[in-house]
Order: sequence, then C-alpha cells, then structure tokens
Amino acid sequence: MIDLINLSKHFGNIKAVDRLNLSVSSGELFGFIGPNGAGKTTTIQMIGGLLAPSEGSVMIDGIDMAKEPEKAKRKIGLIPDRPFLYEKLTGIEFLKFTADLYEIGEEVFLENTEKLLNMFSLIDRAHELIESYSHGMKQRLIMSAALLHNPPLIVVDEPMVGLDPKGIKMVKNLFRSLVKKGTTIFMSTHTLRLAEDVCDRIGIINNGKLIATGTINELKHTAQIGEADLERVFFQLTEEEIPL
Amino acid sequence: MKQAIILLNPRLLSFKNKGFAKDRSIRLIIFAGIGLSFWAGIFAICYRVLMYFQRVEDLGNILAYKLLSMVLLIFFSLLIFSSILTSLSNLYMSKDLTLVHSLPVSSEKIFLAKCIESTIDSSWMVVVYTIPVFISYGIVFKAGPFFYMDIVLSLFPLCIIASALSSIMVLVVVIILPASRIRSIFVFLGLALLIILYMTFRLLRPERLVNPEDFASLLSYMDNLSAPSSSLLPSTWAFDSLKAALTGDVSYALFNVTLSISCAVFLIFLSILIAKAIYFKGFSKSQASIVRLFQHKRERLDKLFSFLSGPTKSFVVKEIKTFLRDQTQWSQIFLIGALIVIYTYNFSVLPIEQSPIKTVYLQNLLSFLNVALAAFVLISVTARFAFPSISIEGSSFWIVRSAPIPIRTFLWIKFFIYLFPLLILSEILIVVTNLFLNVTPFMMYLSIITILFMTPGVVSLGIGLGAAYPDFNSENPAHIVTGFGGLVFMIISAAYIGAVIVLEAGPVYTIFMSGIRGESLSYFQLLWIIGSFFTAFVISVLAIILPIRFGEKRLIAHSSTGNS
Repeated sequence: MIDLINLSKHFGNIKAVDRLNLSVSSGELFGFIGPNGAGKTTTIQMIGGLLAPSEGSVMIDGIDMAKEPEKAKRKIGLIPDRPFLYEKLTGIEFLKFTADLYEIGEEVFLENTEKLLNMFSLIDRAHELIESYSHGMKQRLIMSAALLHNPPLIVVDEPMVGLDPKGIKMVKNLFRSLVKKGTTIFMSTHTLRLAEDVCDRIGIINNGKLIATGTINELKHTAQIGEADLERVFFQLTEEEIPL
Repeated sequence: MKQAIILLNPRLLSFKNKGFAKDRSIRLIIFAGIGLSFWAGIFAICYRVLMYFQRVEDLGNILAYKLLSMVLLIFFSLLIFSSILTSLSNLYMSKDLTLVHSLPVSSEKIFLAKCIESTIDSSWMVVVYTIPVFISYGIVFKAGPFFYMDIVLSLFPLCIIASALSSIMVLVVVIILPASRIRSIFVFLGLALLIILYMTFRLLRPERLVNPEDFASLLSYMDNLSAPSSSLLPSTWAFDSLKAALTGDVSYALFNVTLSISCAVFLIFLSILIAKAIYFKGFSKSQASIVRLFQHKRERLDKLFSFLSGPTKSFVVKEIKTFLRDQTQWSQIFLIGALIVIYTYNFSVLPIEQSPIKTVYLQNLLSFLNVALAAFVLISVTARFAFPSISIEGSSFWIVRSAPIPIRTFLWIKFFIYLFPLLILSEILIVVTNLFLNVTPFMMYLSIITILFMTPGVVSLGIGLGAAYPDFNSENPAHIVTGFGGLVFMIISAAYIGAVIVLEAGPVYTIFMSGIRGESLSYFQLLWIIGSFFTAFVISVLAIILPIRFGEKRLIAHSSTGNS
C-alpha cells in the first residue's frame, strides 16, 4: 500500500529524512517510532502529500504522489498531530466540507456521518461551533473526517494526544478492527506501549534514517536483547541512555 | 471550479456563524458610523475640489481629468501593494493550508480559491473608499446612468488584474528566493514599493496643479497636464473608459472596458498555468524553518539592563527580543518611518514667506497645530505597537499570570518599555518640524513640554486599554487595534489630546497677541493662563495613572473568567 523509495527531505543543510526505503503492505498496522526531531512528522507530511520530497518518491497503492497527487490523496485519510480546524464552523459543517471535497454523495455522507459521530461520541455536539470543543473532541472530529470516505490507508501522527482513557481504548479497538477489514494504518507515535500493543510491524527512525524495521521479536533480535520490552529495544537501537 | 468554490465555503460559513449578538451589533453600528463618516468626508472633499476646478475657466476639465488619472494610478498601485501582501499570506502562510493540501484537490484549484479570497481581501476597502471620488465626478459632470455602470465595469477588471499580477509575482519569487528568507524579503519588497509610491507622489507635488505661476509658461503647464499616461497601464484603460463615459462616448468607454476584461481573463489563465507548474513546489518550500536575519547575543541585553530587578529585566529583555525578531513588526516600523519622513518633508516645503499673514504669527500657529499633528502620529504609533502589546502575549499569557509579579507591575513594565522610544520619536518629530518652521523659543519650549507630558498619557492609554480589551487569539498585531478596544483607545486619546490643545490654545493666543500689540498681561489673564496650563497638567497625570488601573482591573477580571 505504501512504498517509500529513497525518500529524502532537506531543509537547508539539515537532512530531516535521509534516503528512507520502506514498504507497508495492505491490511498492516505499521508503527513509526523515533525520538523528537527524528523525521517522523516530515515523513508523514510527505506520505500525505503536504511536502514535496527533495529526492525519492512516495507511492500510494501504486500511484506516484508527485505525478497524480489528487488520485493518491483519495486513498488516504490523514490525521495530523496538530490539526487545523475551521473554528467558526460547526462539527457537521466541517464534515460536510470534507465530504464535498472527496465528492461523497449525500446519502453516503449522512450514513457515514451518523455512524462516525456516534462512534466518536460527538453526535450531541455536532451542531455546535468547533471553537467550543475540547482538545480531545477536536481530535475525535479530525478522526471522523479522515474516516468519512472509507480510505484504504490511514496515516496518523500521534493519535492519542488529548484523548481520555476511554477514547484511547476506543481508538485502539477501532484501528484493530479497521486493519481486520483490510485497511492499512501508518501510525507515528511516542507511546511505545501503544505501538507494542497494536502494531503488526514497527519502524524506528533516528536522525532521518530508518535504523530498524520488523515485528517486536525481530527488533529484539536486531537489538540483541533477550527478554525485554519495546522501550529497552528503542533505547538500545537509538543509542540513547535510559533516563533514571 | 466546483472544488474551488467548495474551498471558499468555510470562509462564508464562518462569517455566517459569527452571528449578530447584541454586543457585536453595537460595535458594528459604531464601526459602520465611523466608516460612513469617512466615506462622506471623502465625497465632500472631492466634490468641493471638483466644483472649485469647474470655476477655473478653460483649465477646469483638464485639472479634473488629471486628478482622475492620478487617483486611478494610485488606486492601481495600492491594489498591487495590498495584493502582494494578501497573496503571500493566503497562498503560503494561511493556517488552513496543511488541511487543504492534504485533501484530494489539485494545487491550481487551491490557488484559484485562495486568489479569489485575496482579491476580495485586498481590494474591498480600496474600492469602497474610492467610490465616493467617482460618484462626485458623476455628479459634478452631470453624467448619465452609464457612467455609474462604467465605474463597476472599469474597477472590477482592474482589481482582478492587480490581484493576478501580484499572485504571479508571489508565485515566481517564492520559487526563486531561499525559503528561509521568503517572509522577510517580501515584507521589505512590499514596503519599498509603498515608500517609493509615497515619495514619488510627494515629489510630484500635486499642489502645483492649482498654481500655474510655478511653471515657466502656460504652454508647459498645459503640456504637463494633458500628457497622457502610458497606454500599457491598466489604470490608463480605466481612466480612458471613465473619461469617455463622463463625456457620453459609450463605445470608446466600452472599448476600454473590453481591453481591461480581456487582460484580466488572460492574466487569470496565465496565473493558473503558472500555479499548476510551481505553486505546490513553492508551498512545500515555504514550510521550511525560518532562519533569523540578525543574531543577538543574550549577554549584551542582559548587561544593558542589569540595573533592573530580575522579573523586570526578564520581561524587558523578552519584549525587546520578540519585537526585533517579529518581521511583521519591522514592516510597520518602515511604514511609519516613511510616513514620518513625508510628514517632516511637507514642513520643509511650506511656502511660509509668501503668506499675506504676518509670518511670526503664522509660524507659531502652525507650530501649535504641529503639536496636535505630532500627537496624532504618536497615537497611531502607540495604537500599532503599545496597544497590542498585551494581546500579543497570546497563549503565553499564562507565564505572566503565574509569574511572581503583580499584573500592575507587568503593565508598568510594558508602559516604560514603550514610553522611552515613543518619547524620543515624538520629541525628535516636534523639534525637527519646529526648526523647519523657525518658531520662537517660547513655542519651541511649549511644544517640547507639551509632548513630554502627552506621550506618557497616550502610552498609558494604549497599555491600559490594550489590557482592558485584550485579544489573546489574534495572531497579527495589526488586526488587534481594529477591534472595539482599539476604537475606544483612539477616541479617548483623540479627546485627551483635543482637551490639552484647547486648554493651551486660548492662553497661547493671548500671550502672542499681547506680544504683537506690545501690551502686558492683566492679573485675570495671568490667572486664567496658569489655571489652563495646570488643568492640562492634571489631565495628563490622570491620563497616566487611570488607564493602567482600569486595564489592571479588567485584565484580572478577564483572566479569572478563564477567557485568556
């Protein structure tokens, strides 16, 4: 579903992402972890078509993002870490705006909206202005908008920021159920426990380079650690000291 | 096109959803009232000028047409300047860009939607405030209904041409310039353009148009007036069209309108083609981090303010650093700098010697008026810098609230930070212009002392009312002062300056007249003079103390309701 080929992004002299090669299969939940400033968000922005790579290419379901960006973006539901929302729109108006741009028919829109707003517990507040929403509600609204067109690929940056424990549990279950139905999820997170719990495969990025990929067991093997959790693996591979 | 229209929906819906609460309606009525008075003022001035021209035999119409062509040239230049800044902001800095670029919409459609927004944003105010000029032409020239229709037909393509040209310029420059310099360089470019425009206008000295004696001969004067502008300029097409409509030549008017529309359509298509090729590349480039133009060493500022207490020093250093690093502030400094240069330049060219009124009297009268004008310059600078200084704390205002200093101290720190530069600026302004006017030592001292007391009053009003009506959500300091609080500040400051001027005007007139007549002042006159100056002094002291206290109370109340 996702093929990143020699993907690089330079900001002046800084190499935010450096020759990254990665493939994520359909129906896979891929976790993307790394320290702050490692290049996770830049990679996600390139996958989502928000940034043009300095070198290399992004292929979404065989479609080149640089050549056919609209076609590729139709396949994606993007959930950024600091999403923008039109504060003076109501929740339902924002969803309608998204639906119009994805050319979703009225019937499908109504059906999907009701289902999603119920799922994300937003149905009672759907006609209120977004500016009155809490941080967690805004995050849930963005997720609803990303899922509205039933995308085969969900790209999500820090999904649990601002969510309460119930919301976290719900999102975890939702991701697993979507993956079961064949949806691919590319998820960047700092929460190693979350990655360990839900991801089929994990990639670790540090200083813009992909330093390891694999299942938890494969990563343990790479890190040459026997019985250990992802946290120890992470610190071992990124060569960072474990804080006391 | 359908998707471009959908992209405009959030803006329309947001406007609709803002609603019309009672509080908002009152503010709207006040703003509308002020706007309407300005509109009526422009109309009245233009109408009077045109009526005056009509009384000048033979030359009347030529003068009116020359003025019309100048108005249109300035109109077009203002549109270009305004469009450059709004296009840059809408196309590359708007907050919703990350959202819309992640949606399955082509970059040229996003460009088109953003361009429609830019065209409206950059041109509505220019159009609204030039309409009375054109209407006064219609009335004075007794034009038919076609002329009024032609105003719309001529101005509409002119706005589109200006917007499309600016967008093309912005698209190309963003690609050429290094990403980290885009914002800084554009601000400089835009301002350079405005300053050149202003200086050109001043150096043309349009006042000479009504004074044929300045010209060597009537022939060269006529030549100068009737010389046509370049036929390649879109403002010339609008001028030709409006002039033809005024004289009833419908076909020539429509020919020029067609010329404008065809140029506008061509530029729209050209800009879309260019956007298709380079807009996303430029947007992606503009997402790179910003590199600072100047590096400051922390130690230097720390040493400079080492005499201050810890919290005071930290706020002073922070304030200076954030001010210098915010490039939107620089643009305002350049703009105000240009206005001040033009202001003082005007004084240097005043033909005082040619006046029939006794020169000493006129010089001192002008000097007195100059105090009022300098105070109004001070109000505008304070409105732009000191007034928004509380609001621009924005989401970081919690640091102030949790800091171990009272809100009142914080407000006084802000007061002193802005007081010294503004005081130096105002005093330089008043001394330089008084030197140009060659005023008496008495007027020089009086002006210096008056400004010395007025500046703290105006700055305190700015800080106090800025604290009383904060807008912590606004990102652009220029927008903060356009709110209700800004309006209150301007009205109260103008009233304060008006009161001080009125209190000083009577005594100063009495002193001058007694000097001219060689009479000494009576006991009652002396008492009145002292009383007036003392009242002005008391008002100034109150203007320093009361606004800060009011601002403190309101800001604490605002913070405790959780609105910040």
